[in-house]
Amino acid sequence: MLLEQGKISDFQLSVLIMGFVFGSSVIISPGQGAGHDAWIACALGLMEGLLIAWIFTALTKQFKDKTIIEINSLVYGKILGKFISVLFIWYLFHLGALVLTNYVRFFKLGVYPATPKTVGLLILMLVCASTVGRGIEVLARLSLILVALIILVAVADTLLLIPHMDFNNLLPILDVPIGKLLWASHGAASFPFAETVAFLMVLAFVDKSEKGPAAVSRGLLIAGFILIMVVTRNAAVLGPIVTITNYPTYLAAQVIDIGDILTRLEVLVAINLITMGFIKISVLLYGTVLGLAQVFNLHSYRPIILPVGILMVILALTNVGNTLEMLDFANKGFPIYAVPFQIGIPLITLVVAKLRKLPQTGGDKV
Amino acid sequence: MIALLLIGFGIVALTQIPGLVRKQWWRELICFAVLWSMGLILSLMISMGITLPPISTIIGKSLTGMFGI
Repeated sequence: MLLEQGKISDFQLSVLIMGFVFGSSVIISPGQGAGHDAWIACALGLMEGLLIAWIFTALTKQFKDKTIIEINSLVYGKILGKFISVLFIWYLFHLGALVLTNYVRFFKLGVYPATPKTVGLLILMLVCASTVGRGIEVLARLSLILVALIILVAVADTLLLIPHMDFNNLLPILDVPIGKLLWASHGAASFPFAETVAFLMVLAFVDKSEKGPAAVSRGLLIAGFILIMVVTRNAAVLGPIVTITNYPTYLAAQVIDIGDILTRLEVLVAINLITMGFIKISVLLYGTVLGLAQVFNLHSYRPIILPVGILMVILALTNVGNTLEMLDFANKGFPIYAVPFQIGIPLITLVVAKLRKLPQTGGDKV
Repeated sequence: MIALLLIGFGIVALTQIPGLVRKQWWRELICFAVLWSMGLILSLMISMGITLPPISTIIGKSLTGMFGI
């Protein structure tokens, strides 16, 4: 029995990827560890992200219409396959909780300081759960509207900030030591570009599966260029402050002041985070529940959406002690933690599948 | 707070369990019950002021310590 009946087009997949990449990167700038060279780190991170995307899309090209859970069972056998699948599902679940943490910590600090964290988290999770319950098609259609809006806001913000930009803030170029730059670029790859490995749960539902890999690269490239624009803008506007602030995009938007009329536009950054965070959390919740349903051979993933969503909220509330610990994990711990999931599982699965000459025609035909 | 939690979890159970029993989807019911119970127990612990270990912080500190970052 098919757990997901819906199909999305390659264009919808590209847009969904863009929304996913923007996710919480709209507030936590990728490559921040490289200071004013963050744009270079971001560009290098995009290249690493594209390479990782090439690996995992090669896997889906080989096993058409299969999610990573089904691929694992075919490549490693039932028991080891399910064990590796559970590890991958944990990654999706944990990442979803981390995005929720980014969301709630930002709102608690800057937008709704008096509102309890649980309220914001539960409201967002209810919307995500409702969307996931309606299937991948609804999420893909929603992303078309939301991503277009967010690109418009990002470009408008940048144009309004032109009078405040000083490109001397970007000089001297390549000022940071090469080791630090490479670490920052790997950080930018692991968050957010290579996180698109979560789409191993979605690529099976692209109607023309042969167009999936190109759609992933297209989405990553467009989102990458917009993020590079945002990171460059932040460094040009904020100068040295960009290295010490937690939320540079939010701070940069606060600078906008057009004739005392267009001011306090930082709320647009908060809206960006709500909408793109919604897309990212929904994709991760979808991947988690679909994965669990496939591992346990369920008829439908819908009955477990709410309990998994509640567990994600609980993890989001407890997984870090404070905002500094969250940023420390994002900048130092996550780039190492993510390697087995973003590179290890797809690459090893691809190599083993090639060695075992899978998928076979005949008895094991997939 | 605890009463609110119980009402919330009760509503979640009421929206799912009758449908699963009617369709005789026992495997789905077990999965739902396990996840729902985990959620309820952890939520009750949080509402009673019990601090749960910060998983990401622990993972992050272990990894950065291991790799000397």
